[in-house]
Amino acid sequence: METKSTSSFTNLVDQSVCPGDVVLDLSKMINQTIKLGGGLRQDCDAISVMKAGRLRFSKPHKYWVENSQKRYVPYAEDSVLGIVVDSRSDNFLVDIKGPTLAFLPVLAFEGGTRRNIPRFEIGTLIYVRVIKANPGMNPELSCTDASGKAAEFGALKDGYMFECTTGQSRMLLSSPTCPVLDALGKKLSFEIAVGLNGRVWVDAASPHTTIVVANAIMNSETLSGAQQRIMVEKLLQRIQ
Amino acid sequence: MEYVSPEGLRLDGRRPMEMRQIRAEIGAVSKADGSAIFEMGNTKVIAAVYGPREVQNRSQQISSHALVRCEYCMANFSTGDRMRKSKGDRRSTEISLVIRQTMEACILTHLLPRSQIDIYVQVLQADGGTRSACINAATLALADAGIPMRDLVTSCSAGYLNSTPLLDLNYVEDSAGGPDVTLGILPKLDKVTLLQMDSKLPIDILENVMQLAIEGCKAIANYIREILLANTKQLEYRRGV
Repeated sequence: METKSTSSFTNLVDQSVCPGDVVLDLSKMINQTIKLGGGLRQDCDAISVMKAGRLRFSKPHKYWVENSQKRYVPYAEDSVLGIVVDSRSDNFLVDIKGPTLAFLPVLAFEGGTRRNIPRFEIGTLIYVRVIKANPGMNPELSCTDASGKAAEFGALKDGYMFECTTGQSRMLLSSPTCPVLDALGKKLSFEIAVGLNGRVWVDAASPHTTIVVANAIMNSETLSGAQQRIMVEKLLQRIQ
Repeated sequence: MEYVSPEGLRLDGRRPMEMRQIRAEIGAVSKADGSAIFEMGNTKVIAAVYGPREVQNRSQQISSHALVRCEYCMANFSTGDRMRKSKGDRRSTEISLVIRQTMEACILTHLLPRSQIDIYVQVLQADGGTRSACINAATLALADAGIPMRDLVTSCSAGYLNSTPLLDLNYVEDSAGGPDVTLGILPKLDKVTLLQMDSKLPIDILENVMQLAIEGCKAIANYIREILLANTKQLEYRRGV
């Protein structure tokens, strides 16, 4: 890669970008491979931005735009929270907050056969994995991990589900543990499932705890790590 | 009536090539996937975007790209005397079509096949240049919703009164009966997505008026970029990144 092209990209890495911004001129690149993630597209010899956000880079050659939005764009291997909206003979139709409804085949369960087809009522909340996500077809889901085991996937009983942005759901799933979950986990006992599609499910022994956890997570979106810890402390002081 | 004084000032005290004060705000409607408020002087517009989502009417589904729908209406209290019909009249239908076609030119609809994007625009306060303000508000709302776009679309009006090209006409100048050009552009790609004109203009004057409108569009584009970048930075800062 020539120095011109590298500088044009490195100048914008970790910078905020807008739709239409050209981040790389391919005509100046020789024998280089780059991988484009979400928010970037190739237009002739230019790589341009199509979503407002922050340009990110991962070694050796992955580039994408990180942004926060309410709608979810399905990607393979994402774990999401879906709501069953319809039941067909060979698959369930599931709403995953995407552009189209997703298909969950009736056999996509651990030890799934025609004999033991699961029964999901309309409105059931399920934790699933996206296995196919092509633009021209409905996403396909599965209730098993890569090895075919049920693992954490399946229907979520009881609890409380709320929605947040995709950016916040990524933050909740980030490593090291998100400050708000870290602070809550030290004092309260609860179960949580976070979908990359911006849905969060919380369950605890008492409704009281469930509401505290849900409110703390919802309030944390606009706070920094230190502010999140302070907010959780204040919440816990009030309820004790 | 004299729309430009001998000192070169307009009725509201602006210079001929001066725009009204603009202000924008992202995320005004919490339930929408993307929303924005856009103000140009006394013209105030709110836009909300829902989608991309499952097409509600299956007969309208397009297998190769997304269906874009747009609805424009004016609030009954948006004008001086109360409006009787704020939606469904010919003017609203025409402006809805104009906004839809302008936005379709920038949305990468082929990336979202068999889905639907709804754009709702409401004029809260009208003082000329409503369709320009609506397009600018819709652009911000689409960017907020994270819908893939080729470029930001920005729009501005320009006119020709008292032998002077005027930028960003207000209601009094707009209703004077002179030529009124509304222009929409993709600033980074240097492409025109909308060009409308009331009345007639000689070709050489039209070029001057259009050039003035393009400069206005580019100024708005810079402001919209600043708003989007500030919004992104604010999210990052709040998260302590």
